[in-house]
Parts: sequence; structure tokens; C-alpha cells
Amino acid sequence: MNRPIAEIGIVRHAFEVSANLWDLTVEAPQIAPVTRAGQFVHVRVTDNHHPFLRRPLSVGPVAGKSLRLIFNIRGEGTRLLAAKRPGDALDLIGPLGTGFAQPNPARTSLLVGGGIGVVPLQLLDDQLPANAPRRFLLGMRSQSTSPLTLEEIEDRRIDVASDDGSLGFKGNVAALLEQVLGGTDTASLDIYTCGPGAMLSAVKRISLGAGIPAFASLEVPMGCGLGACQSCAVPRADGEGYYLVCHDGPVFDARSVILEPEVLP
Amino acid sequence: MPFDASVTMRGLTFRSPLLTGSGTFGYGDEFLSVMDYAPLGGIVTKSLSIRPREGNPPPRICETPGGGVINSIGLANPGVEAFLKTKVKSLPVGTTRIFLSIVGDTVEEFTAVLEKLETIPEIDGYELNVSCPNVKKGGLSIGGDQVAVAEIVRACRGLTKRFLAVKLTPHHPSVPPLAEAAAKAGADALTMTNTLVAMMIDAEKRRPMLGTVTGGYSGPPLKPVALAKVWQASQAVDLPIWASGGISDGLDGIEFLMAGASGLQLGSILFADPYAPARILREMEAWCDRHGVARLADLIGSLRT
Repeated sequence: MNRPIAEIGIVRHAFEVSANLWDLTVEAPQIAPVTRAGQFVHVRVTDNHHPFLRRPLSVGPVAGKSLRLIFNIRGEGTRLLAAKRPGDALDLIGPLGTGFAQPNPARTSLLVGGGIGVVPLQLLDDQLPANAPRRFLLGMRSQSTSPLTLEEIEDRRIDVASDDGSLGFKGNVAALLEQVLGGTDTASLDIYTCGPGAMLSAVKRISLGAGIPAFASLEVPMGCGLGACQSCAVPRADGEGYYLVCHDGPVFDARSVILEPEVLP
Repeated sequence: MPFDASVTMRGLTFRSPLLTGSGTFGYGDEFLSVMDYAPLGGIVTKSLSIRPREGNPPPRICETPGGGVINSIGLANPGVEAFLKTKVKSLPVGTTRIFLSIVGDTVEEFTAVLEKLETIPEIDGYELNVSCPNVKKGGLSIGGDQVAVAEIVRACRGLTKRFLAVKLTPHHPSVPPLAEAAAKAGADALTMTNTLVAMMIDAEKRRPMLGTVTGGYSGPPLKPVALAKVWQASQAVDLPIWASGGISDGLDGIEFLMAGASGLQLGSILFADPYAPARILREMEAWCDRHGVARLADLIGSLRT
């Protein structure tokens, strides 16, 4: 794991992808080039303590010395972040945590994103060798809440599932995953996933049932992001206490952690 | 005249009053690549116990609307044996003074940990945590009992010549008797104060925001409470006081020094701002420049009442 870097980035581009969903391109020449898919940056949204903590955000696509942060406005912290405009400084610490292990290019990578959980999977998609076989699934409530533009969805050849059927498969991404697995030889598959807790739990259940290795990126409330405060604990499946999401994760072998809510086969 | 930030406590000179608050700074190496340690007079590590503690069920941290945080870590630590085997080499020896925090449920647990830590040559002292709000036994229940606090301090004092700070609870109804008990038992400094018991509720889910329902409140909103505890302790005993509670800028530091603090612990602020030690020292120097103060130590206990 590389050493965390403290860097003041510069926002170069900011746009609202869909309602309350923002995409910031941040120039961070020290952090961006050394970030591995699944790692995150800890972002200070304000210096007046309201809100107090940094916000951990998965790093999206990286281009040269810039990285992209894509997030929903969920509270005051992300609202302040969405108000950043080109030229604004952004206090970052990163890259943090343990990301996705480099996929085996001889196997097929199945990327399964839910909503904003697509963000680290975009970088994983970019960091896979060009000829490595892959399939990319993305779930969303509706086309109007898509975390990606239609152009990006097409460029990455993403299969979309939407709850209301407004784009792609009608239903949730777990149902789409089951459909995809139905016609596939699962022996050479690895699943890489990120999304809401219920979705991760469903993907874990499906992967365990089908005997497919699955690696999930988790999101939990976090303090320092550096492994010092131990706020971001996730229970270990072996009962031996807790892992730290900021240090041992955010990406875990799905079998090694207890997800909330956990519904196993 | 050049600005002098150093403070001397019980014969030990610190290059500045700035310390890290236990629990917020791990074992001292986690922040190395993102923080300048030069402004720090010392660090205080996360508390060590005789046996490993896995800590509390998550969620372990939440924010408060007033710019604070509540934590419920539960003193997660590898235990003193594992610390000596694996973590001790990560202590940032040579960068600043190092104080190891000790926690226990009984006098014997405190002394057992301290005896093992005495084998480390490079450390400067200890902070006894007799006031954690997030453990069922020990912690607050010991920390609220001045007889128990005195017993722990006296037993540890008998085992070490090193600097011995004692971190007291904010929940004892009266600071002076607790402070006097710790002082009489041989403490070198008192840390005022630990987090306040607090909780937050997610009304939509009708659930507490922490796995243990209540936790310990810290961050800038705590400052007035901590100021009062520092002031009361400094009036009660003739010992250095380490202030802990809501320090986030240079003016906070100046005010705590005036209230009687000799040490200024930075805790939760480090989560938001690892640049805080250098910034706060700079801001304190600027304040001193404006007010014709050449030595930071001259401000200690200088409050006019």
C-alpha cells in the first residue's frame, strides 16, 4: 500500500450528471497517478467544522494528473462539495485504503455497480488490461438518477438495470446478475462490486450460491481515514473482531466480512 | 526576540505545548506522511490494555450538527504484548516526545501494562486513562471514584520515574477532590478532560447512530466545558494541566494556556485537519506577536479574574 499523500487539489470541472448527482474533475498531480481502483480520497469539505469530518470518496476515472469524484448530495458535506467550482481548492488525503487486487486477465471480470457504487468500478475497468475479458453491470432507480451519462454507459458497454425500466433491464441489478449468470460458465468469473448495503448483500448471496469469488467495496462512517482512530470497523465473518474499512478495505473478499443487512443462501 | 514556544513541566522541556490526544493518533506513525511532527511537543498514543480489546460494534462514529463528533471505539487495541512485539517499532522515536496511554479495569491491570512498557527505552512517559466513557467496566466507573483513581496513580507512580499524566473524567461532580487525589498520589500532570457521554438518534430509522447507543462527545463544541475543567483543576492543584477538548485553532490554544493549561492536546481536529499542529502553532505565534508576548509559557495561568 502506498503512503497517504496530503495534497491541495484544484477543481477543474464540475457538472451535475443528474438530479443531486455531481461529477468533479480534480487536478491532484501527486495523488491521481498512483491511485489504484477501489482506493479513496478523504476530502475536507469545509474548514469551519460544519460538518466536522472529511468525506471518504471513491476515486473514479483518472486521466493524467486529474481524478474524478462522483457523488450524490446526501447531506451538508456533499452539498458543500457540490458547490465547488473550477479553480476552487480541495484539501485531499489519498490514495487511501486497500483497493481491488489486480484482476487476473485470464479470467472474466464481472463488474457489478449499484448507483454511485459504479465510481470505483470505472477506474477498475480502466485499469484492467485492454484485452482482459469483462462484463459491466450497473443498477439504478431510474434513468433520471443515472450516475453516468448515456455516452459513458455506451463507451464502457455497460448493461443497465433500472427499477422502473426506464433504461435497460427492468428490475434491480441483482436480478440482472442472476440472469447473466444463468447463461454463463461461472468457473472463470470473478465479481467486483460496489453499491448500497442491501445490493452488496444480494450480490454476496448470489456469488456464494454460484461459487464465484466476489470482492466488495464498502462504505461506512469514518474518522481519520488513516487507520489511527478505528472508527470504521466492519465485523469479520470469522468472528475474530473487526476489520478497518480505511486500512484493510474498503475492498474486501465478500466472504470475509459481515455485511449489513446480511441475508445468506 | 525570537518567539519561544517551549514549555517545561516537572523538569521536562517540550518544544511546544502541542500534544496529540489519546485515541485520535493511533501509535504515532499513521499520520507520518501527511503531517509535520515538528510543531508537536509530544504525542499520546491510543490506550493499551493488558489483553487485546476488539472494540465496540459499529457504527463507531457520528457527527453532531454543532460541528462535533461522537465516538464509540471501545478502546480497541492489540493488548500490550502484541504492541511490544509488532507496533512498538512504529513509534515515531526521535521526532517528538512519546507518551503511552494505559487503560485497565483494575489497579493490577494498569500496573501490569506499565511494567511491560517500562522495558521500552525510547519513551518519555505515560498517560493513565481512568475516564473512558466507552467501556462497561473500568473507565468512567473507576474514573468517578477518587479513591480508585488515587490507588491506580499511586501504584503506577511506585513503578516508574517517567512522566505520569492522568486523564480525568468530565463527569465527576467536582473537579478539585479528584484532581487533588491524583496529585497527592504522585501524578506529574492532569489531562482535562475526556469525552462527554452523548448520543445521536436517526429519527427516520428510529435507531441510535452509534452501535452502543451512547458514546463520547468531542470536537470544537466541547471547548467551553474543557476550559472550565482546566481552570478548575489548575486552581485546585499545583501541577501542569494538559488541556483536551475542542482545540481547533490558535486562539483556542491561547485561551487554554490562560486558563492554566501547560499542554494542549489536539484530538478530533486531526481527523479533519492534519495540518492543524503547524497551523495552530503559527496562529499562537501571531497572537503573541500582536500582544508583545515573547514566551508562550508566560501565558500559562495568566487569566485575569
